[in-house]
Amino acid sequence: MEPKPSKLRHEQKQETIGQTGAQETARAFSSVEEMLREDAATNGPPPALAHRVADSIASEPKPARSWWQRIFSRRPANP
Amino acid sequence: MTTKPVHSESSLVSDGTRRAKSVPVSRATPAPGEGPPAAGGRPKWTSLEFGEIYEEHSRPIYYLALRFLGDPTQAEDATHDVFLKAYRKLGEFRGDSAMRTWLYRITINHCKNLLQTWHQRNMVSNADDAIWEGAVASTENPLRVLEVKELGQRIQKTLAALPEEYRLLLLLVADERLSYDEMAALTEQSADAVRGKLHRARKAFIARFHKSA
Repeated sequence: MEPKPSKLRHEQKQETIGQTGAQETARAFSSVEEMLREDAATNGPPPALAHRVADSIASEPKPARSWWQRIFSRRPANP
Repeated sequence: MTTKPVHSESSLVSDGTRRAKSVPVSRATPAPGEGPPAAGGRPKWTSLEFGEIYEEHSRPIYYLALRFLGDPTQAEDATHDVFLKAYRKLGEFRGDSAMRTWLYRITINHCKNLLQTWHQRNMVSNADDAIWEGAVASTENPLRVLEVKELGQRIQKTLAALPEEYRLLLLLVADERLSYDEMAALTEQSADAVRGKLHRARKAFIARFHKSA
């Protein structure tokens, strides 16, 4: 007995997904660096971390500027 | 100096779900009536300049901490501490090196200190499967999730099996912005030594990676 058309379509879809999976998991990297870059691209910091850092910085006193920053940030006197 | 609007990090990785289960989102106490910040909103930087620094460098800094420490929660804490330390020491940054290199230096010292502590050596890691699943939860294709999860786990396992110096050099060389000279400065050796050790580190990584299959 032949399967119903709907079931056949379902099986065909399953097969397509399986093939896609085989292609993805078989992906080859040309170097260790390339593999690590791919890994880094999928492992970014959680979005909440930016809030956490911003909150912590907000409660910090403003950092003191070094002597050279103070000198070079001075505006020239008006003529 | 012009400032760009500061956007929140990419939603590619939804660690927010994972974090919500294990660690509080923020240590800072929100203002009355303000409530906790929404994960998808923009952080309110008191220093827009530092917000830009965070946006530009947080991803590689977090990644270095993640793979060096091997634990997403500790990597998050370490990244927080590194940027806080950088903010406090911003006046000492003279621009002799690139900002990225300076931040890497703080990160490496911080992570090494963490690894050396008694607590770190004896604590039970919470980098269990649930955390890794949370790290790729936002990816749409489940097959892609499987791939990312497997890749990350195998890389972590492989790196953990390597000597600390090899691990660090491989993580640094993966950042295309860093030159061999900068890597040499960060690891306190000559550029030639870096090249030689990297060659051996790559071979060791590939051998270990095949074993981890």
